[in-house]
Amino acid sequence: MKESADKSTPDKATGILKSKLKHKPRRLKWNTKCMLCIGLSLAGTMLFFIIPYIRVLYYAMIDNQFRRNFVWLDNYIETLKNEYFLLALKNSMLLMIICVPVLIVLAIMISLALSFGLRRLKAARTAFILPMLLPTASIVVVWQMVFSEVSNVIPIYILFIWKNIGICIVLMTAAFTSIDREIFEAASLDGTGGFKIHRYITVPLIAPTILFTVLLSIVNSFKIFKESYLYYGENYPPEHSYTLQYYMNNNFLKLDYQALATSAVLTSLLVLVIVLAGITVQRRYSG
Amino acid sequence: MKIHIKRILLAFIILSLAAIFFFPVAATLARSVWFEKSIRPAAYKELFLNCFIFYPMFWNSVLYSGNITICQLFVIIPCAFGFHYAAFKGKAALYTFYIMLMMMPLQVTVLPNYIGLRDLDLINTRAAIIIPMIFSPFGVVVMHQYMKSIDDSLVEAARLDTGSVIRIIMTAVVPQLKVCIFAVVLFVFAECWNMVEQPLLFLKDNRLKTLTIMISQADKFSPAIIAGASVVFMIPILLLYMFFNENLEEGLTLKEL
Repeated sequence: MKESADKSTPDKATGILKSKLKHKPRRLKWNTKCMLCIGLSLAGTMLFFIIPYIRVLYYAMIDNQFRRNFVWLDNYIETLKNEYFLLALKNSMLLMIICVPVLIVLAIMISLALSFGLRRLKAARTAFILPMLLPTASIVVVWQMVFSEVSNVIPIYILFIWKNIGICIVLMTAAFTSIDREIFEAASLDGTGGFKIHRYITVPLIAPTILFTVLLSIVNSFKIFKESYLYYGENYPPEHSYTLQYYMNNNFLKLDYQALATSAVLTSLLVLVIVLAGITVQRRYSG
Repeated sequence: MKIHIKRILLAFIILSLAAIFFFPVAATLARSVWFEKSIRPAAYKELFLNCFIFYPMFWNSVLYSGNITICQLFVIIPCAFGFHYAAFKGKAALYTFYIMLMMMPLQVTVLPNYIGLRDLDLINTRAAIIIPMIFSPFGVVVMHQYMKSIDDSLVEAARLDTGSVIRIIMTAVVPQLKVCIFAVVLFVFAECWNMVEQPLLFLKDNRLKTLTIMISQADKFSPAIIAGASVVFMIPILLLYMFFNENLEEGLTLKEL
């Protein structure tokens, strides 16, 4: 009886002490529980990515699956000399350098127009968003018909922009709509015109989002394989469209684990560098 | 007056761009009903009545995409919750790892996935398609960024009520994440629905393959069947888009690396 009375109305000094004692193990437990929540996702990632990836690193350093002699960096040197790998790398880089700026500028302009100037036309965004969601397999026949006379790489570039503009517009529109409206009122009081407001205020304000979409688009330029594969319908497209993923896919079909593992490691290094560069830029400018 | 002309010009440019972007979709729809110079549902008739392989393949697509999308929610919501509330050394690094993984092209992840599946003896089963996709990091990253904007006090209040994390997530977190969940569902379902490489590489049995594979093997079927199947294949995505598109912008905020 006395104990329960003590618990409900403790004197000040012991009360603080008690609550601290009571609180501490519980907080630890809460933190552990929260960490456990990550566990399921992490376990799956471990099982299907991290642990096998270590195997990939190992495959990239042995001569073949049966003899398993260590050759250290020989596979890398061989891959970097392989003319198909170099062709694939060159084509992937070209796609990235040409298409990503076009894509980003186009996306900025469209989402600016749809979120400020022409808000009544907002329904038009559906036309830009649907391509990223709809199955390419369904639509590729139309592309083949439209570009049946064209034998250069332009159709793939257009397909890339068509497919990837949706996510950029979604992310940018979200960022534009979250900008505080007062900024525009202040700017228009100063007599700043429409274009200048966007050039100097709105676009810089969503810089983090733009950086993210740039990164996403660069990385997606490595992912164009699916569209290209469906467009050409075979594993050996014309030379100008032979990108890294074709190289890897063909090695997959040949079950050439060494070439495949080596190019997977090289590609992931490339992505790693790009993402780290993005992180550095973002950390520097967000202070 | 000058401003007016500018706006009309801008509207014209945007609308014509929209028309160009929409053209392939419209043409796909038109092609399926345009038959011998008149509008006829001949393609659908042939598809539904004569092409029996269509049904199991469509069903496979539904099965894979549906399962992946639903199971993924049970993985990514707790994971994003954990990322938000847990405090431990290396959390930032782990999150950066998730972003990297999200950015990795499929051709990098597909080999580790294949090796993992092979070791577990899952190649050429339905699980080979479903299980690795459940752990795709995209949803975790999106939800973690969205979580920064939710109201912590509800979670704090729920913590006083119950010690069960599952209960807290269900009552205090999920209702606040609704918009984000819808956006992720739309996005993930569309991505799974579009899968080409995984069924191509992880499955040998034609019975298990998806409709994407059937449509991409256009030379094996009559053009009418492919035209019909292409449209039927788009319908679930269009329906989902109709229901969830309002949530897209609000739910998908990606800016922090």
